[in-house]
Amino acid sequence: MDVLGTLKANRTRFITLGVLAFLFFTAVQGMPTEDWVITILRGLSVGMITFLVAAGLSLILGLMDVLNLAHGEMFMVGAYVGWTVFVRPDTFVDVLSPLLLTVVGFVLLPVWRVWIQKVPFLLKQAKFWPWLALVLGAGLLWIAYARFPLAIWNPDVYSESPITYSLALSQGNLLLATVPPSAGWPLGLLGTLLGGSLLGLAIAGFGLRQQAGTMSNHISRGTWITTAVLLVLGLVTFFINSNITDFLLGISTTARFFVAMAVATGLGFVIGGLIEVALIRPLYDRPIYQLMITLGLSFIVIEVVRAIWGRPEFTMPKAALFDGSGDGCPATSFGDLIAHQCSTILLFDGRIRTYNEVFIILVGLVVLALVWLILQRTRIGMIIRAGVQDSEMVEALGINVRQVFTFVFAMGVALATLGGVLAAPSIGLSTDMGTRLLLLALIALAIGGLTSFPGAAAGAILVGLLQQFIIKYGQIGINLPFLAEPFKPSPPLVPASTVLLMVIILLILPHGLFGRNE
Amino acid sequence: MENLLELSNIHTFIGQFHILEGVSLSVPKGSIIALLGRNGAGKTTTLKSILGLTPPRQGSVLFKGEPIQGRRSFDIAAKGIGFVPEHRAIFRDLSVLENLRIAERQKGDFERKEQFIFELFPDLKRLIKLPGTNLSGGQQQMLAVARALVPDNELLLIDEPSEGLAPVIIEQMMAAIQQLSAQSTVLLVEQNFVVASKLAQQYVIIEEGQSVKHGRMADLVQDKATIHRYLGAA
Repeated sequence: MDVLGTLKANRTRFITLGVLAFLFFTAVQGMPTEDWVITILRGLSVGMITFLVAAGLSLILGLMDVLNLAHGEMFMVGAYVGWTVFVRPDTFVDVLSPLLLTVVGFVLLPVWRVWIQKVPFLLKQAKFWPWLALVLGAGLLWIAYARFPLAIWNPDVYSESPITYSLALSQGNLLLATVPPSAGWPLGLLGTLLGGSLLGLAIAGFGLRQQAGTMSNHISRGTWITTAVLLVLGLVTFFINSNITDFLLGISTTARFFVAMAVATGLGFVIGGLIEVALIRPLYDRPIYQLMITLGLSFIVIEVVRAIWGRPEFTMPKAALFDGSGDGCPATSFGDLIAHQCSTILLFDGRIRTYNEVFIILVGLVVLALVWLILQRTRIGMIIRAGVQDSEMVEALGINVRQVFTFVFAMGVALATLGGVLAAPSIGLSTDMGTRLLLLALIALAIGGLTSFPGAAAGAILVGLLQQFIIKYGQIGINLPFLAEPFKPSPPLVPASTVLLMVIILLILPHGLFGRNE
Repeated sequence: MENLLELSNIHTFIGQFHILEGVSLSVPKGSIIALLGRNGAGKTTTLKSILGLTPPRQGSVLFKGEPIQGRRSFDIAAKGIGFVPEHRAIFRDLSVLENLRIAERQKGDFERKEQFIFELFPDLKRLIKLPGTNLSGGQQQMLAVARALVPDNELLLIDEPSEGLAPVIIEQMMAAIQQLSAQSTVLLVEQNFVVASKLAQQYVIIEEGQSVKHGRMADLVQDKATIHRYLGAA
C-alpha cells in the first residue's frame, strides 16, 4: 500500500487527530504564555501517570483478554510501599524477610505440581487435602509471623500514625525505635518457609482439578534460581536487619527515593506474577470469573491497605533533590536546578515544580521508550505483539504462551506500582487513589483503542491534557462571544470532560484512535 | 513403512458438541496424505486435535511412537509439528521477517532455512520488510507455509492451502508443497479434490466426525462412486 492509500483508508482517523490538534492550539492561544506552558506540563504529568497504569492494563487485555480491575489498586499498593521504604525503611526491612521466605513457597509451584503427580494418594484425594494445606499453611504463617521483630506505625494513634512520620521526615526530625528480636526466631523462619510451601501446595492442588492430565512436568532452571535468590535474600535481611536499616537511613533522601521506586517496581513484578499464576491462570476458560476475581481482589487490597496504613490520607515528602528552596531558587536554568536542588524552576515567567512537572514526565518518557523497545526489538516483545492478535497460533508455533502471559502480567503490574510510587509525592496517598486512576486509565484506553500500546500512551496524554486545560480555564475563564462574563468550567466538568471526549471519539472511531477493526 | 503419526479412535468435543466421534488414521513417513470430506466433517478439528488446540477427550495420538495427547500445544508443536491454519493466521503487526523469526525454536533456525524458503517462495524475499497486514491472500498463504518451514518440522499440518486463491497462485502453491514434501511429511486438508489428488499419495475420508475410508489416492481417483458419495461431485 502506498502513502496515499494509507491516508485514504485512515482518513477519519487523520481528520479526528487534526481536529484534536486544532482544538489544542485554540486552547493554547487563549492563555498567556506562562499559563499554557504550565498547563501542558501538568497535563503531560497526569498523562504519564495515567499511561503507566494504562500501559499494563492494555497489554494484559490485549494478550490474555483479561480486564484487570485490580490494576488501579496495584497503583495504590505501589504508592504505599514506596512511602514505607522512603519514610519508614526500618519497617520495610523488618517485613522483607518473612515476605521473601513466604514467596519461596509460591515460586516452587512447578515443583509442587510435579511432586503431586508422583504421589498417588495426593492425586486421588485432590478434593480434600488442598483445603487442609490452605488452613494449615495460613495458621502456621500466622504463628510464625508473630516471631519476627516488627517496628511499625500505629494508624489509630495520631503521634505514631503515618501522617506524623511523614511530617517528621520532611522536618528532618524522624526518630525510629528499634525492636529486639524475640526468642522464637528459629521457629519464625522455619514456620514461614513451611507455611508458604503449604500455601503453594494448596494452590497446586486446587489447580489439579482444572488441568488434570494437561500439566507439563517441566521445571525450569529459573524456578531453582529464583528460589535460591529469595532464600538467601530472606535470610540475609533477617540476620543483618539493623545494618540494612541503618544504611537506608544513612543515604540521602534522593537515593532512598530511587530505592523506593526500584522496590515498588520489583514488588509489583512479583505480585503481578503471583496473581497471574494463582488466580488468573486457573480461569482462562471462564473470562467472567476472571473479571470478578480481579474485582474482588481490588476490594480486598483496599481493605488490607486500610488495615495496615489506616484510613486517613497522608502525604509523601519529596526527596531532597526536588525540595530545595534556598540560595539560587527558583532556578532559572536546568544547570542551576541541579546545582541547587530547587523545588521550582522559572520557565517563561511561570514557576514550574521540579518534581511534579519535570521529573514525572521524564520518568514517564523513559518508561515509554523502554517498553516500546522491549516490544519492538526483543523476541519476547515480538511474541507479545503476535499474541495480542492470536495467542493460539503463537502456541501452535511451539512457544509457551502461558509463560509470556505471566511475564506480561508481572510487567503490567510493575508499571502500575512504579506509577504509584511516582505519583505519591505529588498527589499524596489515599485508599481511593487507585480506583480514580483506574477509571482515568480505562477512559484513556477506550480513546486510544483498547489493545494498542501507542493508543494507550496517546489516550493517557490526551486525557491528562484535557483535564488540566479545563482546570486552568476554570481559574482564568474563557471569553465567549455571546457572554458578558468569561465562562469558567466548574470542577465537576473536569472528570466529565474526559468521558465526553471518549464518547465523541468512540462515536467517530468506534475502535478508538489507534484501534483496529477486528 | 514406519508411521510418523498415528491417531486411534480420537473423540473431540468443542464446548458440548461432539465433533470427532472416532477418527483413526496413520501417516507414514515421507508422504503427502490428504484428509478429505465435506464441509463440517471434522477435518480441521482433526488437525487441531493432533496439536492439542482442541484437546481430544478420548483416544491416543502417537507422534514418532510417543503419546502426545493431553500435552500442551506448544509442547506438541516443539516436538516437530508445523501448522498452517485455515485462515493463515499471519501476525499483522509483525513484518514478514518477524513472522518467520517468531517461528524459530533455536537461534539461527531462520538463517539455516533462509535459502530453501526463498527458493520455494521467491516473492517473500522482496516483501521481507513489509508488515503482515499489507500482504495479499496468496502472499499470506506463502508466508504461512514458510513460517512452518523455519524450524525442523518432520510433520506439517496444512489446512486448505488453495482456499480463496487465484489459479496461478494455486499452481505455485502446489509446486511448493510438492517440493517441501521431500523434507517433511505432510498431512493436508484440501477441499479442492483436483489439488488434493495431484499432491497426495494417500487419502483418508472423514464423514460426520468419523474416519470412514482410507487408501491410495490412485485408487480413489478411479472410484467415482466413493468420490460421489463422500465428497460430492468432484
